[in-house]
Amino acid sequence: MAGIRWEREFGVALEKAKQSGKPVFQDFWFED
Amino acid sequence: MNTGPYSDEKVQRFIEERFLPVRSECSWDKPTPLMEKYGIKWTPTFLVHDIEGKEHHRFVGFVPTDDLFAQLGLGIGKIFYDSDKMDDAIRQFQTVIERHPGAGATPEAIFLKGVAEYKHTQDAKALRRVYEALSAGYPQSEWARRAQPYSAIPL
Repeated sequence: MAGIRWEREFGVALEKAKQSGKPVFQDFWFED
Repeated sequence: MNTGPYSDEKVQRFIEERFLPVRSECSWDKPTPLMEKYGIKWTPTFLVHDIEGKEHHRFVGFVPTDDLFAQLGLGIGKIFYDSDKMDDAIRQFQTVIERHPGAGATPEAIFLKGVAEYKHTQDAKALRRVYEALSAGYPQSEWARRAQPYSAIPL
């Protein structure tokens, strides 16, 4: 697999979740 | 981006198939609106939301692969549970219990599965079975202590 195709915008993820019926998995991360 | 458990193809496939994944970068100097909204104080923090964006489950800190699977499965189960879809919740919690018996989230899955069964059947023996399972398999977990009052329910 090519890896996880992460959304960057939460609003976009929610729209896609509504369309697909899938729940949202959100990873809050920090790059140091 | 795809490091740690995310480098595991099984994890990638599970997340892609079961979730809409989103990564939200944090800034400690100036917290983002999403950090403020969800009260994010440390990273990594992981949230599982329903399709309306309502949070049903969160976990904080690095988790190895087996724990990540269990946490994600628990999150899906809690969406069903919170939506009063107890049949689906029971099946989902059972999947977590069977596939990830050693994961940190599993005692909570056992507890919630028993409560969902009780709500579904009104049979209090389900709660007693929760106590039995947790006290036998996970006696040090806080969920075993939470289930202690159910020890008085006759089988």
